[in-house]
Amino acid sequence: MTFLNSILLAGAAAFLIPLIIHLLNRRRIAVVRWGAMHLLQEVIKQKKRRVRVEQWLLLLMRILLPIILAMCLARPVLTALRSLPGFGKTSLVVILDDSFSMRAPSSGGSPMDQAKAAIQRMTEELPRGSDVQIVLAGGSPRTLMEQSSIALDLVPKALGDTQALAGPMSANDAFQAAAAALSKATNGAREIVVMSDFQQADWKAFAEGASLPALESVLKQEPKPAITFYRLDNDITENLSIASLELSALVAAEGQPVGARVRVKNHGKRLWQDVALYLEADGTRLRTTRITVPAEGEVTLSLTHAFDKVGDHALGVRLEGDSLTEDNAAQAIVHVRHQINALIIDGHPGNEPLSGAADFIELALSPNMATAADSKDLVITTKVDERRFRDEDLRGKEVVILADVERLQGKRFTDIEKFVKEGGGLLVIAGPDIDQSWYNRDFYRNGQGVYPAAIKGLGSVGPADNPARILMQRFTHPAMTYFNDARGGRLQDAEFRTWITWEMKGDEVKTLFSLDRGAPVFIEKPFGRGRVIAGATSANSEWTNLPLQMVFVPLIQRLVSHLATQGAGEAALLVGQPVRVGLKDGKGDEVFELTDPTGKTTEVKARKENNGVVVESAPTREPGLYEMKAKDSSEAQRFAINLNPAESDLKPLAESEVEKIATRHEGMLVRSFDAYQRLDRSRRHGTEMWQAFLIALLVLLFGEVLLAQRIARA
Amino acid sequence: MAQISDILHAEDITPLQHLQLFARTVMEGFTTGQHASPHKGFSVEFRQHRPYVQGDEIRRLDWKIFGRSDRFYIREYDEETNLRATIVLDASGSMGYTGQGGINKFDYARKLAASLAYLLMSQQDAVGLVTFDTKIRDIVPNRTRITHLHHLLECMVKTEPGQETSLSGVLESLAGRLKRRGLIILISDFFDDANALMRAVGILRRKGHELLVFQLWDRDELEFPFSRWSRFENLEQDEDHLMLDPVVIRQSYLKVLAEFRQTLKTNMLKSEVDVVEMTTDQPHAIALKEYLALRMRR
Repeated sequence: MTFLNSILLAGAAAFLIPLIIHLLNRRRIAVVRWGAMHLLQEVIKQKKRRVRVEQWLLLLMRILLPIILAMCLARPVLTALRSLPGFGKTSLVVILDDSFSMRAPSSGGSPMDQAKAAIQRMTEELPRGSDVQIVLAGGSPRTLMEQSSIALDLVPKALGDTQALAGPMSANDAFQAAAAALSKATNGAREIVVMSDFQQADWKAFAEGASLPALESVLKQEPKPAITFYRLDNDITENLSIASLELSALVAAEGQPVGARVRVKNHGKRLWQDVALYLEADGTRLRTTRITVPAEGEVTLSLTHAFDKVGDHALGVRLEGDSLTEDNAAQAIVHVRHQINALIIDGHPGNEPLSGAADFIELALSPNMATAADSKDLVITTKVDERRFRDEDLRGKEVVILADVERLQGKRFTDIEKFVKEGGGLLVIAGPDIDQSWYNRDFYRNGQGVYPAAIKGLGSVGPADNPARILMQRFTHPAMTYFNDARGGRLQDAEFRTWITWEMKGDEVKTLFSLDRGAPVFIEKPFGRGRVIAGATSANSEWTNLPLQMVFVPLIQRLVSHLATQGAGEAALLVGQPVRVGLKDGKGDEVFELTDPTGKTTEVKARKENNGVVVESAPTREPGLYEMKAKDSSEAQRFAINLNPAESDLKPLAESEVEKIATRHEGMLVRSFDAYQRLDRSRRHGTEMWQAFLIALLVLLFGEVLLAQRIARA
Repeated sequence: MAQISDILHAEDITPLQHLQLFARTVMEGFTTGQHASPHKGFSVEFRQHRPYVQGDEIRRLDWKIFGRSDRFYIREYDEETNLRATIVLDASGSMGYTGQGGINKFDYARKLAASLAYLLMSQQDAVGLVTFDTKIRDIVPNRTRITHLHHLLECMVKTEPGQETSLSGVLESLAGRLKRRGLIILISDFFDDANALMRAVGILRRKGHELLVFQLWDRDELEFPFSRWSRFENLEQDEDHLMLDPVVIRQSYLKVLAEFRQTLKTNMLKSEVDVVEMTTDQPHAIALKEYLALRMRR
């Protein structure tokens, strides 16, 4: 039982009045020296016991009267009955934003702490038999527990370790997960509570009118769940963060300088001067740079470092702290190799420089060698004529590049397939000489072959038309992320006049990027333990001017190093993504150990996936360096996990805008647990109990009068 | 030591003197009318003449004077009566009750007894006094001398209420002691076993005694006006007490009380004894007058 107006409960203390009167009456006893004792004794003999019972009953009634009156005025809400099975049970799904912004320190505890406390109290207040599920909405939404729990006291415990380190909250996905959780709910009353700091970055679109289809469909369900938007506050407005750390190369040779491009962003209105930025390699501080970051602006720095040992190295940057320190650091992994050996099979060698099909590639891969510079190239290329290619050429090579090769016959063809199956990388560049029917029949072989897709034909633009260009969008392929920043090179300057078009089948085939006409330029497919990337256009200037662009050098280098570092992972991952290793010759029963940044080790079992074996950890939960190694081996592979920089902008959505979102979806906005409780009670108005108490009060009043009269009459 | 004047004040006596004539006529009425006198010769001594007032008996007019003076005079006599009156005064603990009116029942009873004694003595009746509680405490024998009144009053003064009531036992033993028939005036609250009491009354009646019963009540005992939680302590037994809320039992008490009074009255009537109930807030004279009037009507 709870009370809406609990202050008035104090009135119940008035029960002391009749009790005190009674006690005083008994205390201030008059002594009567009495003669007619035998008459009294006669009376007492007749009715002593009954009188005593009635007296107590009357006193009890008089004591109860003020108590019940006070309870009636305090507007009791019945919760005791809710604990009976089937009464007031609720299926509650809490969408808890565990994105990094919920971690911002605040006077009343971080928003995450506030949310945990509120959830604890919510579960305490829920009637027995209710079930609760929590959807952690940061990054990719996931449920906290496998299924809704009716053990309400376990929910806060399960929530105990959850840290707010995930990426941006995707509201629609979160509602989808909530809907899925609710669809299994058995209770009639349903409720979804969205607990978030309503960071602008995550919610602005919805405030401006973007729809939340998942929520809308939830609202069409019967019974309709009650929607509550629970806004959690933080009082931080100033924040500095590392917005990005990009490496110029994923794989580097020993001593080859790796460039790191760091963006430092100031999300507040204060100018930060002379902030120390440290460059760290494998946790050791290398040098300090002082930077000044303008209010609401950003600073980009380029730093370089050369590692002189082969292996996985972590290159990191760290800012001297503001109060939210977790987003002041970022790391990336550089794979340092002796060298990458690439074999270029030229299908159409030229007689003059740069006239052959593969000349641009050769130049792009080993610019230092070609110019006889002192610097070291990572990729050592060997170029052979397609007609002179023999299987021993493949020995010691990590990547094979086919440039405008018409066809591969007999053993040469099977050698290439075997090479890829065993973990090699293959880059197939198209050109005017390729035999499309052979490519489709033997090389693609209905998906069985190494070539990623069947060739449909040629796409082209007329001489008078505008040439096709690369569709500029946010690239997600690890080899391409470098180009998301314009400083990585201007891909959009490349013009395309002719290209081949593919008919792509299956989920395995991924597009690296496409033309604005819609046709993909590069596609990738895993094959065996290796990978194949196919290009739709020529590697010389016949079909496109891409090879003439500056950007061609990093593009080809990145593609080759990507192919050469099979399973080497990406430079950096974001919190929430799993750590994943592909095994070249795994059986599927290997056991790996993953060491997280805190030093905790968990076992990860390898599993078969498609044609290979992968080891994939659970989604990572905190930023830092992870190490994965086979249980009985000492050779570890390293992974850098960074926070999602989008979460560093802590600016919340104005309350009125959150209200707007809430109203549009028939929800209510609350800002504190008390407000939530009031709302919850008003929703459960039907179980208010004051009427019953009033009836009890009247009955008691009548009873008291009757009993008093009866006693007086007796 | 209490003084006699404590009991019998001048202002108490005055109304008694007014009553005298009234009383005497009444007494005469019942002593001569109802009791067969054991004595012969019934001597009468002239005292004075006084003018006739309306209501005097015609037969007592002095016709001689009327013949001489043409005025009506009444001859008054000092009578020698055959009445031996014994006042039996209850001095038990329950008579010690002092009500909210501040009047002690025993005091009242004493005054009543004194008034009666005075009245009777002034009529030359032989008055005796018996005080008792569980047993007879004092006996003052019947005398007619006017100085005897002093003895009576002295005895009353020294008596204080004390023990339990055992009226029936007292009456029974009294029946043995009183050799000659006479009037027994019983002043008590009759808080005793009703059956035993009636048996004793029966014995007295059979011996030819006339009984006159004054039942004394305090207003509190009749109305039970208490409202606060009270500890009722037995006046007759020190240890005995009851703790109760008077309001709660008032109605029952009144019912039990009415039954008690009714039983006493009915039983007394069966033995042809009149019960005069008196409350301590009534003046004695009124009480006596009412009784005497009652006797007259019989």
